[in-house]
Amino acid sequence: MSAIWAEGLTKHFDEVRAVDGIDLDIAPGAIFGFLGQNGSGKTTTIRMLTTLLRPTAGAARVDGLDILAEARAVRRRIGVALQEAGLDDIQTGRELLTLQARLFGLGGGVRRERVDELLAVVDLEDAADRAIGTYSGGMKRRLDLAAALVHRPTIIFLDEPTTGLDPVSREAIWRYVNRLSAEEGITVFLTTQYLEEADRLAHDLAIIDAGRIIARGSPAEMKASIGTDVVTVRVAAAEALDRAAEVCGAVPAVERVQVADGAAVVYVPDGARAVARIVLALDDAGIEVGDISISHPSLDDVFLQATGYHLQVEEPPAAEGGAA
Amino acid sequence: MHALATIYFLTLRSLREAVRNPAQEVGNIFVPLFFFAVTVGSIGSIAADAFGIDNFTGFQVPVAILSAASSISSSAGLGTITDIQRGYFDKLLLTPAPRSAIVLGRIAADGVRALVITGVIVVVGLIFRTGFDTGVPGALLLLAGSFFFGMAYSGFNAAVALRTGSPQAAAAGGLLLFPLIFLSTAFAPKEVFADWLQVLATINPITYILEAQRSLIIEGWNGLDLLRGAAAVLGFGIASFVLTYLALRWRTS
Repeated sequence: MSAIWAEGLTKHFDEVRAVDGIDLDIAPGAIFGFLGQNGSGKTTTIRMLTTLLRPTAGAARVDGLDILAEARAVRRRIGVALQEAGLDDIQTGRELLTLQARLFGLGGGVRRERVDELLAVVDLEDAADRAIGTYSGGMKRRLDLAAALVHRPTIIFLDEPTTGLDPVSREAIWRYVNRLSAEEGITVFLTTQYLEEADRLAHDLAIIDAGRIIARGSPAEMKASIGTDVVTVRVAAAEALDRAAEVCGAVPAVERVQVADGAAVVYVPDGARAVARIVLALDDAGIEVGDISISHPSLDDVFLQATGYHLQVEEPPAAEGGAA
Repeated sequence: MHALATIYFLTLRSLREAVRNPAQEVGNIFVPLFFFAVTVGSIGSIAADAFGIDNFTGFQVPVAILSAASSISSSAGLGTITDIQRGYFDKLLLTPAPRSAIVLGRIAADGVRALVITGVIVVVGLIFRTGFDTGVPGALLLLAGSFFFGMAYSGFNAAVALRTGSPQAAAAGGLLLFPLIFLSTAFAPKEVFADWLQVLATINPITYILEAQRSLIIEGWNGLDLLRGAAAVLGFGIASFVLTYLALRWRTS
């Protein structure tokens, strides 16, 4: 049985097709990365799968349960940390976790043990009895993660869990997420706009753009699907870029050229050998090269190939971040 | 999770919030008492001759109670908005707790706050020699009525908050009661009103709530007044519950 399954899942807000008929089939215990820009439909998908939003069309099952007909049962099985850490600044960390545990029906001793255990897991024991309003951004994210885990869910949804965090806090969250999957067998549905995060964490990945899934596979499979090295060429004169792309496309063995973000991105099987030929061809055409680099395919290249543009990361205001 | 347990835990959470933000509660009690003092001070001495009311201080206590309930409910709407904006409301919706119970938790807390403030106002009234004609049983009934009215009126503000997600709209929702108070028998009996105002006061449910409260304080037991007052509170409650339910459905659809 799939941990998460969806067919034709769709959400329209008036004329806007936020999610446009996506299919999902996620294996139990996997970390599934859902990669896309802001506004691509990631959060709407999570809100439907977690029963916060009713789909306009389509069907979905979470842990084998229908998200519409068995919504309350679904909520018992899942833990959710949404993009904005959903916390109450006036409560203390311990009070928030205790209330959360009570709402999931955990009683007396079990509840106290679980709260203490989670505070230790997310390194918040010392701050447990302080008002959440005094926490840094990283501490809030960790507490939010703990709140999502309080009832031992089998599936956890994390909506951009590290957006706006500093590198240390981000690393801490990644460590927790890996531990959840590896040690507890929890299925993790993770949305992100960070390529590195998807690459580091996800066993399985889908790229969503304008409400549709446009690529699917493991990060390694996706990168392998490009099948080539990537040579990025920047020319000295911006107006010569289109002509440079044309020239690069005519170089033997070049499979494809895309123009994106002021550069010609050349896909070629043996990049090291092709670089010299590309430079010579451009020189012959009278085009001055400003910069040239070679790389193995990255998820950014996969994203570029699938969408025609580089992933643009939008960071929240600095105040949202904060030290761990 | 059982609905009653959810309501209980979320009521405690909202009351804890109120205790940790005492400035707001001071405002909720200060403003009605200020108007109570000013009204009694300015027209109390002529009330007997002008309206035939001997105990005008007691006559005004229910107005202060309803004004306080209005202030409390307004802040409750803002509390719901804050929860929505912080994402905490979503976190509650993601629990298996019944969704209507999640909203009722905050509303019930407002009922408790209205009850406490009513107690304070009654004590202030007693200090100003209002008396309490129905004694302790009447006082307990008044507190119970305030609890239910506080809940009912808070429901309207919760509905506005859930439907709009706007702090401005929630704050404005809390002011809805003021025109209803002015169009009721808040400051004088109906008999001295112009005809058009008499009609409005007669169809205004606030009139019956005030008269029920007054009967307990300054008249003695009056079954008809109490029945009418209870019916008015029940009507408010049913209307606010339906609106809150519809607003909650809208927010989660």
